[in-house]
Amino acid sequence: MNDPPPIEVRQLRKVFRQTTSGQSVVAIERLDLRIAPREVVAIVGQTGCGKSTFFDLMIGLERPTEGSIVIGGRTPYGDFDHFRGQMATVFQQDRLLPWRSALDNVQLPLELIGVAEEVRRERSLSWLERLGLASFANAYPRELSGGMRQRVAIARAFVLQPAILLADEAFGHLDEVTAAELRETFLGLARECGSTAILITHQLEEAIGVGDRIIVLGKSAKLLADIDVEGWNKRDHAILREAIQATLQSNEQDSRLAGR
Amino acid sequence: MHLDEYREAGLAGTFSRQTVISLLIFVVVWEVLSHFAPALGIPAFAIPSFVRIGRSLMTITPLDVTVTVARVIGALILSFVLGLCLAMAMYRSESLESYLHPMIRLFMAVPVVSWILFAVLWFRGVEFRIAFVLIAVCGPVFLVDSLDAMRGVSRELRGMMRSFRPTTLQYFTKLMFPAILPNLITSWKINLSLAIRVVTIAELVGAVTGIGHQLAVAQELFSVADVFAWTLVLVALLFLLEAVVVRVEQRVLRWRA
Repeated sequence: MNDPPPIEVRQLRKVFRQTTSGQSVVAIERLDLRIAPREVVAIVGQTGCGKSTFFDLMIGLERPTEGSIVIGGRTPYGDFDHFRGQMATVFQQDRLLPWRSALDNVQLPLELIGVAEEVRRERSLSWLERLGLASFANAYPRELSGGMRQRVAIARAFVLQPAILLADEAFGHLDEVTAAELRETFLGLARECGSTAILITHQLEEAIGVGDRIIVLGKSAKLLADIDVEGWNKRDHAILREAIQATLQSNEQDSRLAGR
Repeated sequence: MHLDEYREAGLAGTFSRQTVISLLIFVVVWEVLSHFAPALGIPAFAIPSFVRIGRSLMTITPLDVTVTVARVIGALILSFVLGLCLAMAMYRSESLESYLHPMIRLFMAVPVVSWILFAVLWFRGVEFRIAFVLIAVCGPVFLVDSLDAMRGVSRELRGMMRSFRPTTLQYFTKLMFPAILPNLITSWKINLSLAIRVVTIAELVGAVTGIGHQLAVAQELFSVADVFAWTLVLVALLFLLEAVVVRVEQRVLRWRA
């Protein structure tokens, strides 16, 4: 894989118009960010702060109202097809196709980019093996546990060896032990593949444990803090956690006061 | 036995004890009535004995059965392809849907008899008339069912698929078709029984071959035995075709088991 391109978010704004009331809701208000190649970034914020909208904009499913996301000189929405095979996602729910076996689910992204059947089968099997699911290759999703299904979803994302990996609350619904284990696996694989990884989460522990950098977002995706975790000693992570929590709480109070 | 189990047993081609008993009761009552019909003031030909019906069954012409089956299957395949293609186009284009939807509703409200009359008035060829009627009746069912099913595919799966940036063809073949397959199979089951009934009426009115035509001949000859025999063939055909669809369903939807 070539070096992944840098990601630049410039004055990004996203406004939704509610179909029933006709009112406009600002999901993201003038967000500026720069993510370096191979960086592992955790984006943390409270529910409803615009994280998932940012995720949809990043993968090009939504069009920015104003501003842009530029990845290597191209925009994920405008140059949608250009990013085929270069971006992969892991969602909160596994989102596996129930009519496909684990192996066929992992093969899906390779099928879409036209990889030959034998090659994609071999690659998919090797990824399932790496995630400890070789013996479940022919199992249907309904035959797998939640953790196993999420592993298949991770294999489906990594099989592309994408330049950019996005995870939206990917481990949030799993029990703590499974989530920690999968986070570790995800992080190790992302570093090994040399992908730029963006993890969206509302859990501070997860953000601190995974990210090289933590971006803290307030309401309407207002940038509250941009923290280089590597600059912090592991022993001081508790202090970091408290500082982020305080920032989020203070932003929540400000928002409430502004809304009065 | 639960209601669904009865249905499943029937569709799978196996008969429960209760089914056999109820069929036997019907046969016995019919046979008794056929013997006492004249004494009850009913003409003997009105309720023929099963021996007479059996004789009529021996005269069933395979060609007419084949022609009817071919008409049903051919028209259903055409209706399916047309319905599905239109559903895909309507799913992709909201404006196309807004124009076509009222027309489809109108089509679905037209009685079968009216379609047959239109076909007789508009077209010359018998096969064309029958195909037209069957497509006009069955096509909208495939279309509406497919479109509803496409809209019912979960937002999560659609988002996941789009995130991998498929082509339009890939989007439909890898996600939409497999996702709506259970609904498509249900549509086939509904349309099979509908098509068998419609084709019979269409053949009754304007064909010179097929089961419907043979029913018309039997009616002209006042032969209830022949009508009964051809009706039995029709019912058997429907069960057989449904059993084929159920087999296909069990095979392609085994991931749901």
